[in-house]
Amino acid sequence: MSLLSRRSFLHATAAATATLAAPALIRPGHAAGGTVKLGCLFSSSGTMANLEGRLNHVVRMAADEINAKGGVNGRTIEVAASDPASDAPIYAQVAKQMLEQDKVAALFGCWTSVSRKSVLPVVEQSKGLLFYPLHFEGDENSKNVVYVNSPPASSVLPAVDYLMSEDGVSAKRFFMIGSDYVWPRTINKQLKGYWKSKGIPETAWKEEYVPFGFSNFQTLVNQIRAFADQGGGKPVVVLTVVGSSIPDFLREFANQGIKATDIPVLGLDMVEADLEGLNTEPLVGHLNCWAYLQNAPGAANTAFLKKWADYVVAKKVPFKGDVVIDPMVSAYDSVHLWAMAAAKANSFDVPEVQKAFAGLSFDCPSGYKISMTAENNYVSRGVFIGSVNAKQGFDILWQSKDAPKPVPFSPYS
Amino acid sequence: MMRRSFTVAAILIAAWIPSVLVAAEAPRADLVAKLCGETAAMGEAGRALTGLAQDGSPDDRRWAAPLARAMLDRKLSCDAVGGVLLTADGPQDAVTRAPRTAGERDRQPFLSLRNRALFETAAATLQLRTATDVGQRAAALRALERQTSGLPDRLFEIAADEESDAGLKAQILATAQAAALNSTDPAKRIGALKRIAATPDRRALAQIRPMTADPAYAANPEFRSAVDAAVTTINRGILTGDVLAALYNGLSFASILFMAAIGLAVIFGLMGVINLAQGEMIMIGAYVTWLVQEGLRHAAPALLDWYLIIAIPVAFLVTAGIGIALEAVLLRHLYKRPLMSLLATWAVSLFLINLVRVTFGTQNLNFVTPFYVTGGVPVIGDFIFTWNRMFAIAFAVVTLAITWGLMRLTPLGLNIRAVTQNRSMAACIGISVRRIDRLAFGLGSGLAGLAGLALAPIYSVNPQMGQNFIIDSFMVVVLGGVGTIVGTVVAALGIGQINVLIEPLWGAVAAKVIVLLMIITFLQWRPEGLFAIKGRRK
Repeated sequence: MSLLSRRSFLHATAAATATLAAPALIRPGHAAGGTVKLGCLFSSSGTMANLEGRLNHVVRMAADEINAKGGVNGRTIEVAASDPASDAPIYAQVAKQMLEQDKVAALFGCWTSVSRKSVLPVVEQSKGLLFYPLHFEGDENSKNVVYVNSPPASSVLPAVDYLMSEDGVSAKRFFMIGSDYVWPRTINKQLKGYWKSKGIPETAWKEEYVPFGFSNFQTLVNQIRAFADQGGGKPVVVLTVVGSSIPDFLREFANQGIKATDIPVLGLDMVEADLEGLNTEPLVGHLNCWAYLQNAPGAANTAFLKKWADYVVAKKVPFKGDVVIDPMVSAYDSVHLWAMAAAKANSFDVPEVQKAFAGLSFDCPSGYKISMTAENNYVSRGVFIGSVNAKQGFDILWQSKDAPKPVPFSPYS
Repeated sequence: MMRRSFTVAAILIAAWIPSVLVAAEAPRADLVAKLCGETAAMGEAGRALTGLAQDGSPDDRRWAAPLARAMLDRKLSCDAVGGVLLTADGPQDAVTRAPRTAGERDRQPFLSLRNRALFETAAATLQLRTATDVGQRAAALRALERQTSGLPDRLFEIAADEESDAGLKAQILATAQAAALNSTDPAKRIGALKRIAATPDRRALAQIRPMTADPAYAANPEFRSAVDAAVTTINRGILTGDVLAALYNGLSFASILFMAAIGLAVIFGLMGVINLAQGEMIMIGAYVTWLVQEGLRHAAPALLDWYLIIAIPVAFLVTAGIGIALEAVLLRHLYKRPLMSLLATWAVSLFLINLVRVTFGTQNLNFVTPFYVTGGVPVIGDFIFTWNRMFAIAFAVVTLAITWGLMRLTPLGLNIRAVTQNRSMAACIGISVRRIDRLAFGLGSGLAGLAGLALAPIYSVNPQMGQNFIIDSFMVVVLGGVGTIVGTVVAALGIGQINVLIEPLWGAVAAKVIVLLMIITFLQWRPEGLFAIKGRRK
């Protein structure tokens, strides 16, 4: 009896699966039906959850916006989200699944460079398209990845230049501290090359790395103080730790009584969301650099902030409606860039869309007109240097006149 | 006659006052205009404010002090007319201090890092000269001690002359003495050397070391011996400070490890259950602490600063309750199947993380930092005694004492120890093993909840936080020997200290690897851990 029922159950299940799967097998992705699928690769669990989680919602918001205007090429956009759990190999696995099974027209995703590097062979092999919304270490130029945010030449170097200039603090000595993976190590390598080219001696810098998710910064902050007290010019900290290590570092830094005027910290991955939950009064003056800051002036930004706040309320998004960070804006730009390219190509096929990138431009909420050229898949963005204020946000200390042309490969590495 | 001359004098004075005010207005308006100006003008204004702290009249100084402060706090609003100061008594004109609200399109000027340093100096110098409270003046002096170079040269002298408090006066004079290192008078320089060596840290060393290249070092034997003596004192101070700092850092890391592991030691030791949800109990403890803080904010704002103390029983009881429920519903069915209980607790851990994530969101929680866990005190050399770490250490010590007492001195502790040593024998002599299991599980979970409370002022609190602790706490428990409190203490101290010693030498990544390798090697040699309970175990 039990055998029989199990067998009949198996039959029923097999039949049901076949019926369900059949249309998916027959339908070649976006050829039929009224929708086109986009895939999101942002973690909603693990150490990056608090940051990446927001980006899923922004991609949806941008898709809704385009759908409200009639969609792309007569189709409405459907967004498929996933949770790679802040674990690099899972990003690759999910990307493969989305490209091969769900037949998504483009992927939007990854925060850390290590996750991008793990997705890279997958998108190249499946001839897919990945929009990567983070500023990063450069030194990579795949035709299957659109680098929506800035390489170091148009984000990190202007900020370091500012700190070294008379207007900044005339920085002479540098303490680099980062999480131990490809982005901090490459950035620091390029920085060291840059300083060497400026004639700064090797004794003027020090480099330390911590494991992912590291939180006990007591000893390291002691080392930073000792480094600063050796004299020999103004010291600065170049911080490339990521995720929850950022607030933990800042808390210990302030607790040992170090002010931004003593030793400024340039937090390269530091965004508004990292300051949530911190008392930022003793941290006022520390710096970051991005292609967008929440305080960016202009009507485009005001409109974007309102749109996000409304979206958070309307869709009950589990994030704050009054915090917007650069990668959110970059993800939003990504969806629009993709839609513009698809419309221009009048196709969703990756090679056609790739060809359409040349000459695209879009009014980014940052206030800059961002654009792409035929040369590479980089997007030229504006540059902001922000300064922590007492209200858990960043004031704009400096911003570039226009969007500089991106330089994919650093001459300093 | 007398009266008449008095009247004349009064009239003269009355006529004189407005003219003085008018005369004072012009530079003041100019200064405010600079504050509202470009970056370079702001810098000039900052230096001018510092200048007023030395040369300005008492009235000038009282006028300038709130301005310097307001620039740092962005409480100055600039409009078409001039500036408006946002004070506690409402908005005032920055020049005249008459009540006035800012005009349309006002903006708050914002300091670049370079200017920020200038205004920090200005605010501190003005505070030293104008504050009515001795404590505030002393705080200003402490801020100025760190950067004596850019100050007006007679500032400390004048401030000391006018200082009413004898203790503070001596301190100001001492600071002034230290600033005289580059004066022309050799006696003053030697005095400065002694003074600087009195706070022996690396900053002092960087100040004194160039003196060995000074012409006076070769020419004047007295100066030479003073420099050498100062360098020796400072080096000794730095060494002492470094040793103390290493000990303190090790102790503070050990206290965190101990807090995270003690609950697990009870649970793992007693029941052999590998509870992977232990980290989440820590997280829930921290969330309960936050809820208590928010509750106090609404119900009794006066007690808000004490939320860390008030939350102690709440955090313990809530997590203990969850632990007992978990044991009763789930784990007691799985005691005979260790692998199943491992998977089940893992599932519970995932469930709790996601439950918290859905309820509270993924962002870091905002904790008030009460005064007793804020900042630190410099002790000697570069050693700073930070209060939040001290809180964790004290908390760990108290927890250790209470747990120890509970296990050694109460009937419950006796029963727990009996069950740990031999479960069936304990059952035979009439101990209700089931009840003990449940209570011990509750105790272990409650202790984890307390760990969450102790960690709230140090680490970020988010749904993921528990995951960071689970491996470390297993490491401590296994190394210490399953089920012993002494073992847990010694293992936590050892791992904490070794980590802190390795970190500066080979970096944090290597420290983690080396510590793990050391533990593995040790367990090869002594699989039962540092302190094994003598008794029969299956």
